[in-house]
Amino acid sequence: MGMGIVVATRDRDVPEDVFDWFRHVDDTFSTYKEDSEVSRIRRGELTVDGASEEVRRVLGRCAELREETSGFFDIAVVDGDPSGYVKGWSVDEAAALLDRAGVQEYAINAGGDIRVRGTWRIGIQHPLDPQSLAKEVEGTDVAVATSGAYERGDHVRDPHSRHAPAGILSVTITGPDLGTADAYATAAFAMGGHRAPNWTAQLNGYEAMTILADGRVLSTPGFPSA
Amino acid sequence: MRTKITAAVGVVALALPVANAAAAAKKKVVTVTKTVTGPEAVADRWGYVEVALVIKKTTTTVGTHKTVKRTIVKVKAPIYPNHTDRSVFINQQAIPLLTQEVLTTTKFNPNIELVGGATATSYAFQQSLQAALLQAKKI
Repeated sequence: MGMGIVVATRDRDVPEDVFDWFRHVDDTFSTYKEDSEVSRIRRGELTVDGASEEVRRVLGRCAELREETSGFFDIAVVDGDPSGYVKGWSVDEAAALLDRAGVQEYAINAGGDIRVRGTWRIGIQHPLDPQSLAKEVEGTDVAVATSGAYERGDHVRDPHSRHAPAGILSVTITGPDLGTADAYATAAFAMGGHRAPNWTAQLNGYEAMTILADGRVLSTPGFPSA
Repeated sequence: MRTKITAAVGVVALALPVANAAAAAKKKVVTVTKTVTGPEAVADRWGYVEVALVIKKTTTTVGTHKTVKRTIVKVKAPIYPNHTDRSVFINQQAIPLLTQEVLTTTKFNPNIELVGGATATSYAFQQSLQAALLQAKKI
């Protein structure tokens, strides 16, 4: 997927299947791979209906998330590239794999998006100083996703105005599902500082920490600060 | 912020016609007040700003001669997120309150096991930092 994924376990070795799984995800979804299903769909060589069940499920979920976020998460903005959702979704599937393999304490970190089983101490990078932390989180059986000004070298933009969102430095979302948390973080960040806090406050089953450009940090009551 | 308000006022002022004073016996005056809203402008620190102007239009008719005068009665500039959001947080009881803190900087410490984020950091840095942290904990 063009980035490193770190899998750490406390009670037993990481099963090889996990790495096979991520390779398979890359082969199927990578826009850098000519023969991946996503690349073929984008070139018009493959229809969504003709794609594998996995791809249809991912694209279906992206459509749902577009509705849930009033279009602030929308893969159409990046030419139908579902990578933003696939990253977290593939980690969710890998976590299920580890659960089935009987691993009881593990942590997966995919380029800053995290999912853990057991209790782990997580530092959230400071949005202005990557060598410092903005917040420490104590996470148990939870996914943690953060959206900020730069993601994969691209600017996150408000899909409605096409401008960079104003007044906001980052949004961190925690909850049961990393794919969803990631999409929510992306959407909230794109909404900008005047809309993000209120929107995150009404999320069901997900907690949030929004860092505004004026230095205020607005968190939902259940956000797992350490 | 002040600059934006001044600019908006300036634009409206240029569009106003020059009023002529007219004196005569039979005079009819009609006054209309209207609010006009400028486009949403992205400001640096405060988020989206939309300026609203309350305009009073006075039409004076003397015989067949009619003059129109417009004045800006009020300038309204709701500023996000400074004063508006607080009332929103309190009034909307269906939405739980958010806790507010000031952004601080904490150094990495040996307790940290994982690093989350999405800032202007290369993935190489993230990955090597993460791997180093895990090694330090001997996981």
